[in-house]
Amino acid sequence: MNATLQPMVRISGACKTFHAGTINEVRPMRGIDLEIAEGSFVIVLGGNGSGKSTLLNAIAGSFLLDAGRIELDGRDVTAWPEYRRASLIGRVFQNPFSGTAPTMTIAENFSLAAKRGLMRGLGWAPSRRLRDELRERVFELKMGLEDRMDTAIGSLSGGQRQALTLLMATWLRPRLLLLDEHTAALDPKSADQVIALTDRIVTRERLTTLMVTHSMQQAVNLGDRIVMMHKGQVLHDFSATQKRRLRVDDLLACFEDIRRRELLDESAAEMLQGQYV
Amino acid sequence: MTLLIGALTLGAILALLALGVYISFRIFAIADITVDGSLTFGAAVTGILLVKYGVNPLLATGAGFVAGMLAGTVSGILQTRFRINPLLAGILVMTALYSVNLHVMGRSNIPFLGAVTLSSYCERIGHHLFGAAAIDLAGWEVSATDLTVLLLMGLLVGLTALALWAFFRTDLGTAMRASGDNPQMVEALGGNVQRYRVFGLALSNGLVGLAGSLWAQYQNFADAQMGIGMVVWGLASVIIGEALTAAPSIGYAIAGAIIGSVLFRQLVAIALSFGLNPNDLKLVTAAFVFVALVLPDFLAKYGARANRRPA
Repeated sequence: MNATLQPMVRISGACKTFHAGTINEVRPMRGIDLEIAEGSFVIVLGGNGSGKSTLLNAIAGSFLLDAGRIELDGRDVTAWPEYRRASLIGRVFQNPFSGTAPTMTIAENFSLAAKRGLMRGLGWAPSRRLRDELRERVFELKMGLEDRMDTAIGSLSGGQRQALTLLMATWLRPRLLLLDEHTAALDPKSADQVIALTDRIVTRERLTTLMVTHSMQQAVNLGDRIVMMHKGQVLHDFSATQKRRLRVDDLLACFEDIRRRELLDESAAEMLQGQYV
Repeated sequence: MTLLIGALTLGAILALLALGVYISFRIFAIADITVDGSLTFGAAVTGILLVKYGVNPLLATGAGFVAGMLAGTVSGILQTRFRINPLLAGILVMTALYSVNLHVMGRSNIPFLGAVTLSSYCERIGHHLFGAAAIDLAGWEVSATDLTVLLLMGLLVGLTALALWAFFRTDLGTAMRASGDNPQMVEALGGNVQRYRVFGLALSNGLVGLAGSLWAQYQNFADAQMGIGMVVWGLASVIIGEALTAAPSIGYAIAGAIIGSVLFRQLVAIALSFGLNPNDLKLVTAAFVFVALVLPDFLAKYGARANRRPA
């Protein structure tokens, strides 16, 4: 669309091997190249072990790459530690327990989110201003939590926690929002609520978003681009126009295709083994 | 009465130790044995400054706090930079400090006789405050110095507790608490968990060093052995405090640690006056902490079985 505009995310030649040289060696990233334009909402699909969560963790800085480069908002962050990248990134994890501090109150958790990527000093946490604003925005969730600001967050349900984590991740507008199967651990009703909230926030704030999901339905309904991963590489990349014509069946066919190729690999290997061993 | 005041004073001094142990054990979930070394380190540094160099007692006491912080910082760096198991890091620093303390003191025990300490300050203040060496307190004769020491220690502990409470409710303090609760989340929100941990251990051991410094001045000597088993003592205080307050809020927890320390010292004083062999004190303390750690699970299991029986 706009070739002169630099992308929000630019990943080039990203490789990672875990437990190299051992029997547990895995290579979840085998030369990934990916560019994401500012304001686009990208869905990442892939089977188990395809490397989609690893991709998100690599961007967030949970580990450093073996090779390759990651740029965020024009800055080379390849060597930045996780906490430093957090100034640009908001995150919601798959596990509802990962995104919040359970023994601390809702208000205290948000006081942490309100300082994402900023210097934390000796100001009172949470400040009165934050409390007022928080009350308003939690009220918008319609979960009845606005009167429970001083409740420990650990006593809330998974759905409530994910909704709050999403609100925390976007409290300060992130340059990039990473959602790692953030509804996979929820019951269907809570998952729908969190997805609706995700759509609302991302659309309203026009956030650049990378969302990993297992759900074909979510992939078809949300976002403006689908990236399909397999064995640590990007296999398909559906643009907005292609995606608009895409149905769940098409995606399933895509997966079926991958599986057949996989089987072919295996049977070929067996055949070779039968002939030569 | 003198015995009671003595026990209260020591309880107040060791409340600083309990607060330090609370920070490492409850906020960061580390059983930090550095405490055994840093308590003595604080006492040794204060002692040598007072006895050999005649430094102002307030400065010497401050130096005890800084010494403790230093020990905690080393422990913290071993845990974070060098990824050493926290328990092992504590053991290493504690062991190393044993030699360091002997070097600092020059021998295994230094008496403070003749040196100007905080106790001598208290003697003077007590004389001004009460106008006599001994005063009548509800029928008991009490030394004005002892009473002043107790009052000042109470004041110091109160102020320290207030400062800690306020600190743990600031942006930085909240982030430190959260990094013990959910480090992954704090990293994702831009907090440097490793730095928080080093600072937390420094603060924790600083308080312990301060406790050691005050304790040495109170008993008028520093000894290379005085830190042995003190981490367990601190744990006992924290656990008693938790049982009494039973609230997760930071204010209650801090108050609990102090009350726990004072109460535990009273219990020990009573047990000793009833003829408990002082040699058994550490054994009894360890057994107490063991029971306190195991009891909740045991009660839950036993309670569940008792509930099932009638059905």
